[in-house]
Amino acid sequence: MPGWHDATRELQREGRVKMVGIVQEQHADRCRLFMQWKQLDWPVMVDSLDLLEVAVVPITVLIDQHGIVRRVARPRESPRRTLQAFIDSTFDPPTGAAPSTEAAAAAARPVLPELERAALAGTPEALRAWASAMVRFGEPADLTRAVAAWQRALELQPSDGHAEFRLGVAHRMLYDSGRGEAADFSRAVARWERALALDPNQYIWRRRIQQYGPRLDKPYPFYDWIGRAREEIVARGETPVSLTVEPRGAELTGPARSFAAVAPGAEPDPEGRIQRDPGTWIDVQATAVPATIPPGGSTRVHLEFRVRAATQAHWNNEAGAMAVWFRPTTGWRVDRPAVEVPLPAAATSEEVRRVEIELQAQADATDGVLRAYALYYVCETAGPCLYRRQDIELPVQVKRGRGR
Amino acid sequence: MRGFTGRLTGWYLLATLSASGAAPASGIAEGQPFPLIALPALDDGRPLSMADFRGERVILHVFASW
Repeated sequence: MPGWHDATRELQREGRVKMVGIVQEQHADRCRLFMQWKQLDWPVMVDSLDLLEVAVVPITVLIDQHGIVRRVARPRESPRRTLQAFIDSTFDPPTGAAPSTEAAAAAARPVLPELERAALAGTPEALRAWASAMVRFGEPADLTRAVAAWQRALELQPSDGHAEFRLGVAHRMLYDSGRGEAADFSRAVARWERALALDPNQYIWRRRIQQYGPRLDKPYPFYDWIGRAREEIVARGETPVSLTVEPRGAELTGPARSFAAVAPGAEPDPEGRIQRDPGTWIDVQATAVPATIPPGGSTRVHLEFRVRAATQAHWNNEAGAMAVWFRPTTGWRVDRPAVEVPLPAAATSEEVRRVEIELQAQADATDGVLRAYALYYVCETAGPCLYRRQDIELPVQVKRGRGR
Repeated sequence: MRGFTGRLTGWYLLATLSASGAAPASGIAEGQPFPLIALPALDDGRPLSMADFRGERVILHVFASW
């Protein structure tokens, strides 16, 4: 992309070509930060749902004045040579040309009530159109209805990889919005895995799993550039674009070529004597990304701990640290058998606490359960603050017989 | 967005897919109109589509910041 930008700089200035982008990310505002960092100011459209049905990025497409694709640039193709051929075979745009009626219609905001009425007919096509319009141009509250519409479309027409992927995107949006449930992350991953099982050559779908997945599967760290970008933007005297969801954990970590297993040490509560929290005060959500892995493969386990509003619980940070202990079953290994969670400075707090570890299925591993327990100090508003243990179980499956 | 190595990885992947017959995008083909789909603009969410750029030569990048 930078090669094309440099090659077209003069032509852009002269108005002879227009640079346009379409971004294929779950969190589009991260692209806004990227554009600010690289000082790119061309228009960019957001296609988080992959409505274009692009299988891989980056792609550079040369489009003429009539909207006809003249060239899909090949890998390692010289931008300058391709550009010259494109310029020579097309006309300079007329000055002051107004968008056509067709253009206005195509770019118009979909009319959601009309699409909703059409969806009442119950056809998969109408349900999908309504769902995708709600995600693109609806209100945040429409996300739940979009999820329901895609679910219904998939009931009527299963084995639709695009619908599975888009439903996964909507679940993750719900999760990030705070309007959904903690389980929406697991639901997103499950949908993306089902989509990828239907079409393993779809690398946009694969990247969505890898974004949250283990190091062995990562092609690169997805968002390690953000810290550097912010520093350089601030050094220029600008304020970096703020992000609605800060990347963390798996999104920042880099790839690894081998699994660095660590043997479990001594447990803090081997006999299980610490009094339990059966989930009354702290709600735990566990997600494995991916949930099914090949022998020798690995998964990244995301654990989230939320205080339950119903019991008016809150963390106590004065007495000691929170820790999570993992006990993999035979055939499985972990990269960290114990994780200590950093505590905030305040005496009490209600934040979501997150822990990520990686789990590897050895060659002889069978389907199993990752067992773990968390130890933490938790208080009830009208009750005592106690050191409690919560046991956690996460099923993990080994995929046999077929490749990834 | 990856650095040079990362971009090479992306292009290598594209080359691999092209060589194996997998299309980078099912709806984008040379000689055919680019699909007209209304998408939210990155800066303010207003609807945009490639129809908005009719009459201009467009270099379109389909990309991600990773």
